[in-house]
Amino acid sequence: MTIHLEEDGETCRLAIEGEMSIYEAADHKNGLFERLEGCREMVLDLSGVGELDSAGLQLLLMLKREAEAGGKRLQLVNHSQAVYAVLELLKMEQHFGDPMVIPAEWRTP
Amino acid sequence: MGKTIMIVDDSASLRQVVGIALKGAGYDVIEASDGKDALAKLTGQKIHLIVSDVNMPNMDGITLVQEVKKLPQYRFTPIMMLTTETESDKKAQGKAAGAKAWLVKPFQPPTLLDAVSKLVLP
Amino acid sequence: MTNDPREAFVQEVDELLEAMESALLSLEETPEDPELLHTLFRAMHTIKGTAGVFGFDPIVDFTHRVEGVVDGLRSGERALDEPLIAILLSCRDHTLALVQAVLEGEDPSQVSADLLGRGQQLLDRLCPEPVGDLTAPVASAPDGYGAAKVEKLAGREAADDYWIISLGFGPDALRNGMDPLSFLRYLGSLGEIVDIATRTDRLPPLADFDPESCYLSFQIGFQSDADKATIEGVFQFAEDDCEIDILPPRSKIEEYLALLDDLPEAQVQRLGEILVKIGALTEKEVAQALAAQAADQASARPLGEILVGRHDIQRSIVEQALDKQEKSKSRVAQEGRYIRVDALRLGQLITQVGELVINTAAMRVAVQRRDTDDLQEVVERVEALVGDIRDNALQLRMVQIGETFSRFRRVVRDVSKELGKEIDLVVTGGETELDKTVVEKLNDPLTHLVRNAMDHGIETPQERLACGKPAKGTLQLNAYHDSGRILVEIRDDGAGLDPQRIRAKAEARGLVEPERNLTPQETFRLIFEPGLSTKDEASSLSGRGVGMDVVRRNIEALRGSIELDSQPGQGTKVSISLPLTLAIIDGFLVGAGGEQYVIPLAQVAECVEIGREQALTHGDRHHVNLRGEVLPYLRLKEFFGIRSGAARKLRESLVVVRVGHAKVGLIVDELHGELQTVIKPLGRVFENLKGVAGATVLGTGDIALILDVQQLTALLQAHPQPQAVSGRH
Repeated sequence: MTIHLEEDGETCRLAIEGEMSIYEAADHKNGLFERLEGCREMVLDLSGVGELDSAGLQLLLMLKREAEAGGKRLQLVNHSQAVYAVLELLKMEQHFGDPMVIPAEWRTP
Repeated sequence: MGKTIMIVDDSASLRQVVGIALKGAGYDVIEASDGKDALAKLTGQKIHLIVSDVNMPNMDGITLVQEVKKLPQYRFTPIMMLTTETESDKKAQGKAAGAKAWLVKPFQPPTLLDAVSKLVLP
Repeated sequence: MTNDPREAFVQEVDELLEAMESALLSLEETPEDPELLHTLFRAMHTIKGTAGVFGFDPIVDFTHRVEGVVDGLRSGERALDEPLIAILLSCRDHTLALVQAVLEGEDPSQVSADLLGRGQQLLDRLCPEPVGDLTAPVASAPDGYGAAKVEKLAGREAADDYWIISLGFGPDALRNGMDPLSFLRYLGSLGEIVDIATRTDRLPPLADFDPESCYLSFQIGFQSDADKATIEGVFQFAEDDCEIDILPPRSKIEEYLALLDDLPEAQVQRLGEILVKIGALTEKEVAQALAAQAADQASARPLGEILVGRHDIQRSIVEQALDKQEKSKSRVAQEGRYIRVDALRLGQLITQVGELVINTAAMRVAVQRRDTDDLQEVVERVEALVGDIRDNALQLRMVQIGETFSRFRRVVRDVSKELGKEIDLVVTGGETELDKTVVEKLNDPLTHLVRNAMDHGIETPQERLACGKPAKGTLQLNAYHDSGRILVEIRDDGAGLDPQRIRAKAEARGLVEPERNLTPQETFRLIFEPGLSTKDEASSLSGRGVGMDVVRRNIEALRGSIELDSQPGQGTKVSISLPLTLAIIDGFLVGAGGEQYVIPLAQVAECVEIGREQALTHGDRHHVNLRGEVLPYLRLKEFFGIRSGAARKLRESLVVVRVGHAKVGLIVDELHGELQTVIKPLGRVFENLKGVAGATVLGTGDIALILDVQQLTALLQAHPQPQAVSGRH
């Protein structure tokens, strides 16, 4: 479920709660791209993402592409461990250009 | 977070052996004795993989796949069918219905674990 | 043909080690020759592999380590120098020792601690420092994700040492529950994902974007010991929903190439089969490529091209596999011409053919007695055929002497190092053929002669330079055919023999009277007398004083003869003359007391008529005075105890036979002349009969005994009146 936190015309702050899997992908798509349309900067809080699968990842990649195409800024913040694990697996930690706070216990040995 | 696997087979002993192996590897396991029983148990909880026999009383595996694909909450759940070498027509039917993973019976628990972990790691 | 696979193993090992030794010796000249290096590699690699099948662990462990070093030589990581060649030669010997120990021991997985210790010492010398960790991970590029990374991964034909896996997922993958991330996680459990590029170039415009469809592709640099089929297996469930290309890493390519080399050439296989066998392709990949080929018959592209085009495999592997296929074809064509046959069976065949010859002769006589022309004609034809069969059968056992000669490369190399001499071995006439049984018995005398030449003949480099010769001495082995015999020469350009010293020594030992005049030739012959060694102190190699007379006896046992010629300061030449085969003899037929005897022609010095006045008797010793030379003699008739009523003739025929330099006379009744005949071994009945080497059946059907001249001479020297059967006076 996408939770709308705050919108001031310039910056849209969103938090995703629950899973980002194929089951939610259609819903997320509708919510996210609509919001992106109406703002200059999007801050996406991923702290509540319990599971991220390829559909969810694909959605994030698409979001970034669209943001860049529209000259907008996309910021992913507060990555959950599930999100971090996927980005680490794909060695994409740097891809979204966002700083990540990684608690020591997440790191795979 | 543990991943949940549903094992559907009319042989209770097979379910038991497979169940022990999967639990040992760190999965949560739900057992069902046939297609009908499986559908009845698909009630809201998250299931990451369904491992199902083809030939079962009440509802066979192929029908189960077709039914699962109709359930919004489970339609994208991977399904692995257990079959014998001779059932190539069943395999084609199952694949058409959307069960892409197959394991040939008889198998040893490590083989099943290996196949399962390609789709879902515990 | 042998049924015990262990025997076949021993034979294989022998051949491989032989080849390895040859290669090592040649590598002294051309240390970088890839063919030769490969021969080393192949020897160790193949022995390791086969020993593994048998569970001969000590052999596997040892050859594995040596193989590793040789592989480093092949790849140029390490250079081959003389000390290393010496160690590798020792490793080769040790391998042989291990094989023998393992086959003789009770538990093939164990050998004595002593042997293991020696192996370890060799290995320590072989790689004094631990070999670098080849499996250390390749540092992954710091750059993250993006076009550059994709380029880097895509444009590489395994420039780095990892697998390149390309995955292009189809739109339905996610809907089917096939999550790419799951496969990647699992892949990570088989090895290390060194680098990965996630490609999004297939993502459509937003309007067309279906969030449940998959648009992702991945390019992965993967490091793993897993084989191609295992890696392909990771994605088995995605096969309907994913395009998969797996390119092996460089080290794998080398492994495949090595495996390709090791594939037996005995069988021609299809390209796909070859590549699947070495693990370079999976069966699925071949099936897909074949399907593509079938679908596009118009362009008639070869399978190899299709495979390379599909990025299933590197071009270099396909090329090598095609090359291998070609080799197998010619090998199979050629191999059809050779089969391995048990030497015993061949021997049996030759014996039976010999019997056949004899029986044909007997038949001929029987037919002649009946005087029927038509039968005679048949017999003549049969006889001609049997003669051909005999020649062919004997031909079967003919082998080239070159193999025996090349064994001496090692001897020459080792001994010259030990002696601090520089010696070149020049081998000529290696293609000359002779009977295998003769070759086998020639080995010992040849070894002795070769060692002698190096020990006593060729001087040290300093001595050679001092007398104006090149520092490097030359030892020559040569063989050629000459009128039905084979001549083997061992020639050195050393100091030569000093006739005066030989003479002095021979006189001191009482081998020659001081007043006798000897030609240089005759003087040199003294060297073959028992108890004469020219070197004052015996070396470890030769000159123990048991040398040359034993050599001569060995050669004479082969019905051969040996001659020596030497020029002081110029060198020495030893010539050995041998019959081509032991199964056929050139003989001289004589008659005595109504019986017929064959004297080996090589040992007949001359035939003369003597008058009674020439035959002398000193006490009970018979001597004959032949042109001033006094020879002991015996009457063949008396020797064989034949009583014949015929009175002694006034003049008798004397056959002078020679064994080395001893001559004796045999008095016979008739001289029939030369003949070539097949030797038939004597049965047990004749075991106690002295002076007889065998028997043969003459064209007349009569049996003739073949005289053992050597034994006769010895008997005659020991007893005044010897008898063929003792106690029958």
